[in-house]
Amino acid sequence: MVKDKRMHKIPEHNDVKFDEYYPNKFRGDVKETGIGFMGYEWDSSMEQFKVFLHYDQLYYWKYAEVSKLGKGFIDGEFWGTQCPKCGDKFFPPRVNCWNLNCDLAKSDWIRLSEKGTVHTFTVAGWSGKSSLKRLPFVLAYVIVDGCNTAIANELRGLDPWDAEFGMPVKVVWKPKDQRQGTVTDWHFEPADGWKPSVGMTPEKERIKELCQPVIEWVKTMK
Amino acid sequence: MDWIIHDHLGLVGLPHVRIENGGNTGGSALYGAFMAVRSGLFDCVGVYGWETMDNVTQSQGSEFIALASDTRYEALAGGIYPIYYAAMAYKFMKENGLTEEDFALAAIKNRNYAADNEKTQWYRSDYTNPESPYYKKTLAVEDVMESRLISYPLKRLDCCLMSRGGAFALVTSEEWAKKHAPHNYVIIDGAGLSSCTIRAGDRIDFPGWNEQYGKGYPDMTEFAACRKSGEMAYDMAGIEYKDAAKEVDVAELHDAFSSSEIQIYKALHWCNTENVKDFVREKQTFIDGEVPCNVGGGLMGYGHPVGATGIMSALECMMHLNDTAPKKHLSSKTYVKDANTGLVNSHAGTGTSISNFILRRP
Repeated sequence: MVKDKRMHKIPEHNDVKFDEYYPNKFRGDVKETGIGFMGYEWDSSMEQFKVFLHYDQLYYWKYAEVSKLGKGFIDGEFWGTQCPKCGDKFFPPRVNCWNLNCDLAKSDWIRLSEKGTVHTFTVAGWSGKSSLKRLPFVLAYVIVDGCNTAIANELRGLDPWDAEFGMPVKVVWKPKDQRQGTVTDWHFEPADGWKPSVGMTPEKERIKELCQPVIEWVKTMK
Repeated sequence: MDWIIHDHLGLVGLPHVRIENGGNTGGSALYGAFMAVRSGLFDCVGVYGWETMDNVTQSQGSEFIALASDTRYEALAGGIYPIYYAAMAYKFMKENGLTEEDFALAAIKNRNYAADNEKTQWYRSDYTNPESPYYKKTLAVEDVMESRLISYPLKRLDCCLMSRGGAFALVTSEEWAKKHAPHNYVIIDGAGLSSCTIRAGDRIDFPGWNEQYGKGYPDMTEFAACRKSGEMAYDMAGIEYKDAAKEVDVAELHDAFSSSEIQIYKALHWCNTENVKDFVREKQTFIDGEVPCNVGGGLMGYGHPVGATGIMSALECMMHLNDTAPKKHLSSKTYVKDANTGLVNSHAGTGTSISNFILRRP
């Protein structure tokens, strides 16, 4: 087979031997129960019958050619990629260049500085089930270290209504023993010494007012 | 699933294709049927879409839907679609001189039209439900402004609801239509379908879009896949982009969020950065405006049963071109008379896949 330099190394079937487990105990903790019958309901006047089922499954992601990104998060390092031909920088990493003129050039891994600027953001007052207790929070799209792409993550360490377009931010890591190799290992916070460029504006007041019922609602959650 | 329907309808033995494409499932299925008929291989293709979303809570469902976004880099960070859309809408609002109230106009327009359409979730769950705070109420901008924060600048009434629903359309050759539905059919005169990046954060400097639309387009503020697929449909139908707002008499757009509807106006060449604000405030997309949009209620009115939505939009648009709207809706108030050209828009992801169709009265 002709070797294509743009291809990434694909391990043979027996080449991968995971020798680091973290944590190891989850394998026993997660019970994969499969499909389970939970119960039924019957409406006797409308003659409607309903059955409840539960399905439980442990999932995994193989990081494959972006494995360096996942391990980097564990080690507290930000790894992006850069095209050797056009120089475009990517975070999250693209393993082949997006520029058609570069003919899918295989990109190089580069260590990124953990600084960026807010490209756009929003103040969330509602979210998915796993995130409700963190409300209200700022979700910001940040351009990290001059990349040609922006990445979303939470922006903490400020009142949500104080967030601003173009503000400088830094990456803050979770303690090492809590990292999982995912984007939740870190979040953004305002860069050291940052202060809001203006005091309370009518728009900030408006966002603050919209946040108050959310703050009260979250307090009532168990 | 397609074969389950065949089974139930007694249609076993026919070819079947399943098309799954998030919020653009309906549009993509319509596009598939259009290709099948235009290729000459088939003269009558049934297109059906459906979704069952009411057996989980809104927050659980939102999380399931978010799994269709980039799970590794987005969904885990606490993002659900309303949050991604809000981040895009906020920048769009700032850069185009718009306000929350401008977005709210689309939200109240579509719901108030839905009050004239008993098929819509708004009509059934709110407008005719004595327990709803919106019972028999004609919504005003203030109602949107006072509804709870979802993700700034979007509030509850700026967002569509998850729903349960189904929709069905027949796409046929014109000969077949003339024979079997001589006074009832409309023509698909143009069709376009375009992809975009899965993550909105990858659209600030994408080489393919830079080359086609100038550096930095669409940024995180507009939908390049909408512009591209809209242009494909306009080209096929012989519509000049600059005249699009004049040529299109009625449109059904993917208003999952009020802000999206306005972003779509711009992507479809109906207005630009300079005049989008006036276009919205002059109510050019209300029924008496230049391009009435979502007079059937749109997603704000119907809810958004993902797989069915695009087909619903096509049907609602069709009802004006074949003059069935007065019968399908409760009155003629939401009927665009003398419409000859319609536009149908269907939209997935954060603008990751979008289709547009031009429908014409024969």
